[in-house]
Amino acid sequence: MKDLIFFLLVGLGLGALYAMLGSGLVIVYRGSGVINFAHGAFAMYGVFTFDEARRNGHLRLPWVDFLPTHWLNVPVSIKLSDKGVPTPVAFVLAIAMAVLIGLLAHFLVFRPLRNSAALGKVVASVGVMLYLQGVAQLNFGGGNRQASSIVPDSAVRNFLGLGKTYPEGALWAVGISVLMGVTLWAIFKYTQFGLATRGAAGNEKGAVLLGYSPQFLAAMNWVIASVVATAAAIIVGPIQGSLTPVGLSALVVGALGAALIGGLRSIMVAMWGGLALGAVQSLLGLYSTRSWFPEFLRSGARDVVPLAVIVLVLFLRGKSLPQRGSLEEKRLPLSPRPVRIPQHTVIWALVVIGAAFVFQNSGSRTVFAFALSTSLIAAILMLSMVVVTGYVGQISLAQMSLAGIAAFFMARMMAHGATTASNPFPVSGPGLPWPVAGLLGVIAAVVVGVLVGLPAVRIRGVQLAVVTVAAAISLQTLYFENQSATDLSAGAPANVRPASFFGISLASLGSKGLTDRPAFAIFVMIVLVLCAVAVSNVRRNGTGRRFLAVRANERAAAAAGINVARTKLLAFGIGAGIAGIGGVMLAFKQNDVSSANFVYQSSLAFLAFAYLGGITSVNGAIVGGLLAPAGIITATSNYFLKGTSIDRYVTVLGGAALVFTAISNPNGIAPAFQEMLRHLGNWLRQARGKEWAAVGKRLGPAFVIGAVAGFAIWPLRVDSYSKVWMPILGGLIGLLVRSIVLGIRQSITAKQQKRRRRSGPAPTRREPGAIGAGARTAVGSGVDTHVALAHAEQV
Amino acid sequence: MALLDIRGLTVRYGGLAANADIDLHVDEGTLVGLIGPNGAGKTTFIDAITGFTHVSSGAIEFDGIDLTSLAPDRRAHLGLSRTFQSLELFEDLSVRDNLLVAAEKPPWFAFALDLLRVSKRRSVYEDQVDKALSALGLTELADRLPSDLSHGQRKLVGVARALAAKPKLLLLDEPAAGLDTAESQRLATHLRSFLSSGTTIFLIDHDMGLVLNVCDYIYVLDFGRIIASGTSSEVRRDPNVIAAYLGQSAGEAQAREGSNLAAARASTSETGATP
Ligand SMILES: Nc1ncnc2c1ncn2[C@@H]1O[C@H](COP(=O)(O)OP(=O)(O)OP(=O)(O)O)[C@@H](O)[C@H]1O
Ligand SMILES: [Mg+2]
Repeated sequence: MKDLIFFLLVGLGLGALYAMLGSGLVIVYRGSGVINFAHGAFAMYGVFTFDEARRNGHLRLPWVDFLPTHWLNVPVSIKLSDKGVPTPVAFVLAIAMAVLIGLLAHFLVFRPLRNSAALGKVVASVGVMLYLQGVAQLNFGGGNRQASSIVPDSAVRNFLGLGKTYPEGALWAVGISVLMGVTLWAIFKYTQFGLATRGAAGNEKGAVLLGYSPQFLAAMNWVIASVVATAAAIIVGPIQGSLTPVGLSALVVGALGAALIGGLRSIMVAMWGGLALGAVQSLLGLYSTRSWFPEFLRSGARDVVPLAVIVLVLFLRGKSLPQRGSLEEKRLPLSPRPVRIPQHTVIWALVVIGAAFVFQNSGSRTVFAFALSTSLIAAILMLSMVVVTGYVGQISLAQMSLAGIAAFFMARMMAHGATTASNPFPVSGPGLPWPVAGLLGVIAAVVVGVLVGLPAVRIRGVQLAVVTVAAAISLQTLYFENQSATDLSAGAPANVRPASFFGISLASLGSKGLTDRPAFAIFVMIVLVLCAVAVSNVRRNGTGRRFLAVRANERAAAAAGINVARTKLLAFGIGAGIAGIGGVMLAFKQNDVSSANFVYQSSLAFLAFAYLGGITSVNGAIVGGLLAPAGIITATSNYFLKGTSIDRYVTVLGGAALVFTAISNPNGIAPAFQEMLRHLGNWLRQARGKEWAAVGKRLGPAFVIGAVAGFAIWPLRVDSYSKVWMPILGGLIGLLVRSIVLGIRQSITAKQQKRRRRSGPAPTRREPGAIGAGARTAVGSGVDTHVALAHAEQV
Repeated sequence: MALLDIRGLTVRYGGLAANADIDLHVDEGTLVGLIGPNGAGKTTFIDAITGFTHVSSGAIEFDGIDLTSLAPDRRAHLGLSRTFQSLELFEDLSVRDNLLVAAEKPPWFAFALDLLRVSKRRSVYEDQVDKALSALGLTELADRLPSDLSHGQRKLVGVARALAAKPKLLLLDEPAAGLDTAESQRLATHLRSFLSSGTTIFLIDHDMGLVLNVCDYIYVLDFGRIIASGTSSEVRRDPNVIAAYLGQSAGEAQAREGSNLAAARASTSETGATP
């Protein structure tokens, strides 16, 4: 009994962190409908700013200069003193940083996205998370930091007569989190601002009536959430141990748990829920060491049990069909019907086979062979997301975990207790041949995938996304990191023997120990083609129609005789099968499987890149595969920009690119790219000298200026910039800047025209014909007018 | 025997009885109407029959089968097809695909065939869909997206989608709301032709002209209760109806001009319901 109470109390420290981050998530969600996966990263950036200022006297700004020269650099760091600033100053600086980050997140990222689908916002927040993590790695270094606590943290002996030593800091943490929670609650309950925010959550007009612009409210809410997260991390973070960019960013999971307990609505419930979550986790940590505790749950109980309870509650609270008139989800991009499948297949296949042979054992270009199979496998994994998310609209962040199920299960089924030269860890198993083991792995993934999809029957939208994160973490701790399931001690990879097909070796490793064998790339390609054709077939037939019908409108789908629940589970099953195939391929590529490949963060990244490619189509998945981390595009830019050290900035640039594309190209790159290629093809066919000259006149100046600038920067280089690539890169940047400037100018004229039209005579009324889809926009623009009026009055 | 047989149907939302103790029958091959002022509980009634809202008490029997515990999709498979007041089209699918989704009754293993099928085969349900499209004059629009269509056309797509399922009973929730007089008259002709090809119809509408003209039998709902029922001439003369629905003045005159008035009222009520 004493133990029970003591461990509950110990967990409150971590619980306080969950509580404060969780209330921040609720605030942001209510304010702008975003589940902020970057919330942990906000806290991380704040606490690192604090520690860096206090320790070294530097203020590191939240960006990097990725083309540093000897003069005219973007300031990334401000030196305040030689020894470090006093704690209160550092605290104020960190809070200011939190305000800045909150404002930037709102104005640069989420305000432009306010009308996009939930998925676009998820992707953007993943982009922000990657960006901040990357910036932190560069500005603060990725290593551990042992920050000292700013609240007294001495050990209290024989605490409350429980006979154990208790850290005083935890008491402070709990006190502060409750204080903050109550303050926030009071602010939202009793002030005009809070009233307006709650009004705006249901209906933008509510806020306007109280004289606030909804955008101002949203910005304020971002700032509040960011500040609370930073304060929480500074006060409580150091008590919990050392700080790392990735570790702190991962706090968002516990915070999401707390926010879900509060139904993404209630700050108070999220706060108490966060504290309870920390306490229960601590208690489970204690019990899982006891002898009576079930063996298979031992490693995962701490994470899995609380998450399972939350999911169960959500499930019971949910409805199997949305209510009449319930808020409609914003639509995902259209899913085009696939055309000319044989032609596409042949072209892609020839390119892949050619590349596979060209890059085999080609010196420094061999990296392309490695990147080629990485991209192909990523494309398979993203196809699974096309089915689940693109076709049926269910956001699943567990697809990599399902891939992991197949990979781990196959490894175990293939194993027979032997070790190899490269992998000294023996795993016991039945030693089945690879096709049988692989098939069993994929079947296992399908079974688990359907289970992971079960919550989707009653939980929708972003809540479902969070639930699938819970599932991903459960799979990780219950299976991948569970010795009783994998027969591996923690962190060790399981060995996978190469496949062969009627005597042809399909091994990925060539004779020189490089992953460049063409046979393997072709093997992966054939598998990808089969998966891609299957996914296209789904789209072109009745199953795909039913998928899209469920995505578009569940109530109407049910009325049309579709079993909505079964359709969703079917999609999860098919998606899991494809993800499983991808996992098996990944295992063959690496010749082993380890849990690090299948963490939920990689699902987040893959989903984000699939969205970039175009998540509603097969082509999108293939483009996404090219873009994937360590894929062809990364390899190409690393190869050609070698010496510019741009590869250090891959995470930062990738995160920024995610955000940028989510805003500028919500349909993904593939559709826009196809359109562009078609235009270009037509143009090239017709273009004569005159047309070329015209283009030269139009684009030439920007390119030349950029190229000269690029060349001018070269002598000022910090690293060894390449003489050839800097001008070309500069020229391309020149073109990009030109198009951005033109775009801005265009949007300004558009706005002016709109304003002119508004201030003109009575606005033209919409005809009754526009009711259905039009009514929303009509009402929307009505609100805009209100907002504009409200602004005008304030000025 | 009645195709649809409802006894003592009650639906409560909290303290409010949106449907209170309703008895209602629809005979095979007839067109039965349900009218009532805004908020009377008409949509709730269709929701209850088709399984979209929980039923507090009462029995719903369709074609001799007790529906009370069946899911909406099961009821659709039994031949119960509905439209929605707020349309609820599949905005991501072409008009033809909207209808195909409703028409298809795939076996459980259909997905396996679809995964493996290399070329797109003509769905066996396309003929059924073509018939529904031409019945409502939508053949030209088959490959367009619903968002490209006018409101009147979208309404017709909603009806066509319900019809494409070859239902035994077609339940229409205000199909004429927002249509102009000519469109509404054309709809009446369509309804009559469905009827003669063997589909039983249950029609809700504000458009008194439409309901009184085409329906064989009419129920009048007010505050969740049936306050009158009968043929159109009986209902027209019923003092309860005149008081509750048509206003105090003589019902006849208003019923005639009612179509415009009701259309206007309905379109405002719907704009309110959509956002
Ligand atoms: N999900 C719900 N929860 C609570 N009350 C509801 C719900 N749905 C409907 N109601 C209420 O039930 C009553 C009947 O509504 P219903 O939509 O069935 O009326 P109606 O006759 O279809 O009206 P209209 O002519 O405007 O379409 C209304 O008072 C409405 O507010
Ligand atoms: Mg209604």
